[in-house]
Amino acid sequence: MADEAGDEEITPSEIAEAIRDCLELSEVDSVPNVRRYLGEALDAVSDGMPADFVAMTLYAALGALREGAPG
Amino acid sequence: MPSPYRVHQLLGGARLIVEPMPERHSASVVFMFGGGSRLEDDRLAGVSHFIEHLFFKGTRKRPTSKEIADAIEGVGGFINASTDKELTAYWARVPSEHLNLGFDVLFDIVANSKLDPADVERERMVILDELRMYQDQPQDLVQNLFEELIWPNHALGRDIAGTEASVSRLSRDDILEYADAHYRLPNLVVGASGSLDEQATVAVVKAGLSLRPGLDGAMAPVPPRPLDGPRALVRRRDTEQAHICLGTRAFSYVHPDRHALDLLNTVLGEGMSSRLFLNIREKLALAYDVHSFTQKHRDTGYIGVYIGVEPKKAVDAVNAVMAELRALSETPVTPEELARAKEFTKGRLRLELETTNGVAFWLTYQELLLGQINTIEEELAFVDAVTADDVRRVAGDVFSGAMQMSVIGPFARDSAFRLAIGA
Repeated sequence: MADEAGDEEITPSEIAEAIRDCLELSEVDSVPNVRRYLGEALDAVSDGMPADFVAMTLYAALGALREGAPG
Repeated sequence: MPSPYRVHQLLGGARLIVEPMPERHSASVVFMFGGGSRLEDDRLAGVSHFIEHLFFKGTRKRPTSKEIADAIEGVGGFINASTDKELTAYWARVPSEHLNLGFDVLFDIVANSKLDPADVERERMVILDELRMYQDQPQDLVQNLFEELIWPNHALGRDIAGTEASVSRLSRDDILEYADAHYRLPNLVVGASGSLDEQATVAVVKAGLSLRPGLDGAMAPVPPRPLDGPRALVRRRDTEQAHICLGTRAFSYVHPDRHALDLLNTVLGEGMSSRLFLNIREKLALAYDVHSFTQKHRDTGYIGVYIGVEPKKAVDAVNAVMAELRALSETPVTPEELARAKEFTKGRLRLELETTNGVAFWLTYQELLLGQINTIEEELAFVDAVTADDVRRVAGDVFSGAMQMSVIGPFARDSAFRLAIGA
């Protein structure tokens, strides 16, 4: 996946691998919905969904972490 | 302080409210009819709006739309109309010496319109174009979809202008029958304000009333059914921005907590010092346009949030908004926020009532829909009486309801959106 010509291309497999690594972290379960958003993102990559859609789901996971992080 | 307005009961159940504002150079007249799109069934969807358009096409006295416009614009005045879900209003604002002309034109269009068959067909095309235009405007479309979710399978959830199918089908006979049933004296409240003589105004209105009495054939409003649960509706469009409306059912315009709801809405999302603007836009940089809004009807209402956001930040923005709603439900607003919200609300009301048109609408709206009129002082006192705990209690009450969300953007799936609102 690349935004513009010249960007270093990241393959869907590499993104999926990164998401799987995240899912193995125990912190994922400390905030509600983070695991589910990551699961959605993994499904989206596996199903060949557009990069923006995968990014949206990953941002949702990050946002959930931000909202759920102890102040 | 004595009330600055007077209500006059007229023949056939019509009412006239007059508020002299002798220091002004203009006068405004509003003819407000109870009804609107809420009373239409699926077959007649859009008929109230259609009639409102047709009333400007020509009367027996002024046979063309140009003659109607010229009559008022020829003296520098303004004339217009609007159809809402529970009312239809026709209004004119004129230099005060032409007040009688304003009345004459408005009586003419509501009682003597030709509803010419050729005009019906021409206006049908205009309204169909209007409906198609909304389809191309995602900010309008997302709000229409949101209202469909808030009031599913109910006239309140339908576009005031109807649907392409209903507008295409409406016959001239349907239109005549509906206009005859609803443009009746008991449904009419006339408001007049500005530089005017009260007794002369009463005489002009009494002489001009020629609509029929009684309400034969008029339909009664049906209350909406309770919502089944949270729902997200994603409409896929290749837009550059995602357009999102989310919210839940709230209060009617007669609910005792309506003022607390208004202040909650102000704290949440009205203006550049609201929580949504400061937190979602300024702090998190998640959205360019984010604001909240309410709509109130006789037995229901809603509070909603609009977000215009880069597609890849869409769900994150929804989650951030949901966090703001939870915060308002859990913690009372600060004294500073409450004071700001009250001054904002009171200031807006005062500014609205600066014009003769604003006063005429304020009076007729209250008389028609509430059956009573609060003075501005009474209304300001209601706002002042709201406490921070009232706002928190109301937030807890409304935001625990089933969230509804409409989304327009380049999204192939709705699962992440459903997750965000628990749908």
